Amino acid sequence: MTTPDVAWIAIAPEIALAVGAALVLLVEVQWKPPIRVLGYISGLVLAVASALTLIQKGLAETAMGALDTGSLVAFSGMVVMDGFAVFSRLALLGVTALGMLSGWSFIVRQGRRGAEALALVLLATAGFSIMVASNNLIMMFLGLEVGSIALYVLAGFARERSESDEAAIKYFLLGSFASALFVYGVALVYAGTGQFAVLDLREFFQSFIVTRPAVIYVGIGLLIAGLGFKVSVAPFHSWAPDVYQGAPAGLVGYMAAVAKIGGFAAVARVLITAFGDLDGTWLPVVAAIAAFSMLLGSVLALVQGDVRRMLAYSGVAHAGFIMTGVVGGSTEGVLFYLVAYSIQLVGAFTIVAAVGGLSEDSAIDRFRGLAKRSPALAGSFAVLLLGMAGLPVTSGFIAKFGVFTDAWISGYEWLVIVAVVASVVAFAFYLRIIVVMFMDEAEAIDDSTRVGFAVGAVVAVAVTTTLVWGILPGSLLQLATDALPI
Amino acid sequence: MLTALVLLPVVGAVIVLLVPSRRREIHLPLGVAISVLPLALAGYVFADFEPQPGMQMVVKASWYEPWDINWHLGVDGISLPMVLLTAILVPIALGASTSIRHRAKEFVAHTLLLEAGMIGVFLAQDLFLFFVFFEVILVPMYFIIGIWGGERRVYAAMKFFIYTAFGSALMLAGIIALAVYHSAQFGQASFGLEDLAGLDLSLGAERWLFAAFALAFAIKVPLFPLHTWLPDAHVEAPTAGSILLAGVLLKLGTYGLLRFNLTLFPEASVEAVPIMGILAVIGIIYGAVVAIVQPDLKKLVAYSSVSHLGFIVLGTFALTSGGLQGAVIQNVNHGLTTGALFLLVGMIYERRHTKRIADFGGLQKVMPIFAGFFLFMTFASIGLPGLNGFVGEFLVLVGSYATLPVLAIIAAGGVILAAVYMLWAYERVFTGAPTIEENKSLVDLSPREISLLAPVAALVLIIGIYPSVLLDKIAPSTEAALDRVVAQTDYEVPEPGRLGDVFVAEENPS
Repeated sequence: MTTPDVAWIAIAPEIALAVGAALVLLVEVQWKPPIRVLGYISGLVLAVASALTLIQKGLAETAMGALDTGSLVAFSGMVVMDGFAVFSRLALLGVTALGMLSGWSFIVRQGRRGAEALALVLLATAGFSIMVASNNLIMMFLGLEVGSIALYVLAGFARERSESDEAAIKYFLLGSFASALFVYGVALVYAGTGQFAVLDLREFFQSFIVTRPAVIYVGIGLLIAGLGFKVSVAPFHSWAPDVYQGAPAGLVGYMAAVAKIGGFAAVARVLITAFGDLDGTWLPVVAAIAAFSMLLGSVLALVQGDVRRMLAYSGVAHAGFIMTGVVGGSTEGVLFYLVAYSIQLVGAFTIVAAVGGLSEDSAIDRFRGLAKRSPALAGSFAVLLLGMAGLPVTSGFIAKFGVFTDAWISGYEWLVIVAVVASVVAFAFYLRIIVVMFMDEAEAIDDSTRVGFAVGAVVAVAVTTTLVWGILPGSLLQLATDALPI
Repeated sequence: MLTALVLLPVVGAVIVLLVPSRRREIHLPLGVAISVLPLALAGYVFADFEPQPGMQMVVKASWYEPWDINWHLGVDGISLPMVLLTAILVPIALGASTSIRHRAKEFVAHTLLLEAGMIGVFLAQDLFLFFVFFEVILVPMYFIIGIWGGERRVYAAMKFFIYTAFGSALMLAGIIALAVYHSAQFGQASFGLEDLAGLDLSLGAERWLFAAFALAFAIKVPLFPLHTWLPDAHVEAPTAGSILLAGVLLKLGTYGLLRFNLTLFPEASVEAVPIMGILAVIGIIYGAVVAIVQPDLKKLVAYSSVSHLGFIVLGTFALTSGGLQGAVIQNVNHGLTTGALFLLVGMIYERRHTKRIADFGGLQKVMPIFAGFFLFMTFASIGLPGLNGFVGEFLVLVGSYATLPVLAIIAAGGVILAAVYMLWAYERVFTGAPTIEENKSLVDLSPREISLLAPVAALVLIIGIYPSVLLDKIAPSTEAALDRVVAQTDYEVPEPGRLGDVFVAEENPS
């Protein structure tokens, strides 16, 4: 009997993250070091995971160059190590690093419980990281659950605020329901095809014509619903505003970003790779979801009085824009959009947390006259908001332009028209925040907004990438173009 | 060269931002000094420009290879006057902003960024690049209106932004569609204007693309009935904002119609002639009539812009030599005269803090120099022979009479109405004896203010007396644009239509 060949490298980054999470907790229990030390350990873990991912990138490129895609499938086809997985994983790790810095002051305030928050962040990233690399629907589900459960706990982490509890419960109940839908979808697809693996499914649909496809269609629909919940596209978005409002401000950006990266990577892999040959059936559905999401998110964001809820609804709209990229059928546009938007999102929530201070208040009035109190913070927020709005010279514009072009080429002209109209509606609420920060002379709150090093670093990275990728998108676009799923 | 023209103001804006905030007194002078550099460069470009059709001084560098987006700049007879106009108006607008003490640094930086965008938009030969500039302009203008504007500035800024953004959003869809068509026909996406002009589009595609582009530009112009953002934006904007809004930003619309709609969609353009002509003429008459009854000087000038811009659109879609030349030169004329009128209104507002016509009266006794400049610009604006407005409106009317006689005759009525609203306003503000106490002690223009107005007045006179200085450089390019439309469609320029050459100088004897 031969032992199966185990390519540990394929899941090495996740192993590093999971071991790191355990390490943080053990060190905390054993030595009770200052939280700073645990922060360094977590940073080191992220660095190791990134280094391992870069090794994977090298292997993936060599294998793709040699047209030897088989060597990238590991653990009996459970996970793959293709460019797509590597790119998404790097995005996740980058966002995690930014998210830890962004939430750092929150974590410090938690005292000894801060270690748990750090461990949960590492675990959530490990979960989504395995999700983007899974070639098997069951594996994908496991990653999704590991990531999601960690996020549920994080949502309720600010125990002193009742909104946080509410957010956690809501997120948990609705999230579990969505996970159930996803599993049911997996089961139905298996019932219809006898396959779990993404690549096998693709081969199945290439070789067979299904005469009684109803069960498969229902399965695909449930998969879309389950993943749609995680990425908060309308009509599966109802949890987002409450969770964005209730969860710890410093961590919300991170939570939303990793869920979107993991979720959309899975959406792209499942729909484009596995069910690419059935696109006649799911494209109209996904296009409708995208259109609905963009319009609903943009319009509802207009009437919010709380910046976090506004960003939540803008997140619904953005999910719609990314779905437009999925309709376009190209992973390149989706990946670029995900990276550009995730970093802006983390940056924006970092600023929301800094402005909210200890009270974690994010009513729009809190931003009144911010340009006077803290011009740098207000200016950075303005750049990030304009970036999310998709104005030229920001990465948001290139991202939108990419997905619009892809959708147009696929013949979904109407969706692009809806998308450009939704972007104009979206301008209005991004501008509303800018108006409050820059143009309102009304009595400003005299809370001094102090910006620590960690916040400054995250904001600087977010603003710089927004502008640099807006002016010279070539480097990131090239990476995204090369990051093809096998 | 052209790259430097675009980037100089950006560098300038960064330099201004680096000056510490507490050195308040040097921000504005520094801004003026910086904005003189692009003016010098634009002057050099103007002098160096050969009166020939086609793009000159072309710069082309790959920006993003896979999508074939290029940093592609060039100047021809249609964009040259606009670039020069922008470069002239920015130092004047900055020089007129001494009353802005609140956050002056940001103001100067925003104005310089605006200048970069405005120059870029006229030079861009790549539709992607054009769109980037076209949208980027919105941001500094939005801040200029929203931070330094009047009482309802936030509302006006928002309305300005959303209106224009809506128009350009559909244009973005149009640009994407063109690139996709190009990739379908030539196997490679392209955003280059020349490449896209070579596309073979079906009439149906041309029609909706024309509509998408025309909507964006018609909102900018603004063409009736899309003009409602304009009075709000103008009235609330600070003086510098109004000058640049009227002087340059509105011209993006007329420039875009001529540069993109006529070039890219000739057949649809020929079809659209009646619609665009009628809308233009409605704008001419409507703007003039509404201007007559305005109680506010700034609003009056704003509505007069709706009327004047109607002439430019009419000239463009007359599709004759005279009409096109008139449209281009009228772009410059309107920028100069209306810019100067907004400047004058701003000067009186700084003294009296009111713009209501009823609050004035008999000012020419107290402020003779001011009154003199105002009267001069009034005459330029209503098209008195010998001043620049006459040249443009005459060319437009002659040019459009050949193809759209009825509309041309109605439009001529707009010239008379212009005399009514401008002269009546002059009468109420300046003539008679000063009756209101505050008006009796007003101070006449300072040397600084005269130095802002004098160059504009000189240009108004020069163009009025010797229009060939511009027309020689404009004509070859507008003729080329017209030839293109004729070659691509079965449209023929009626016989007197080419008679617009009256102002074109003789061939050089060399």
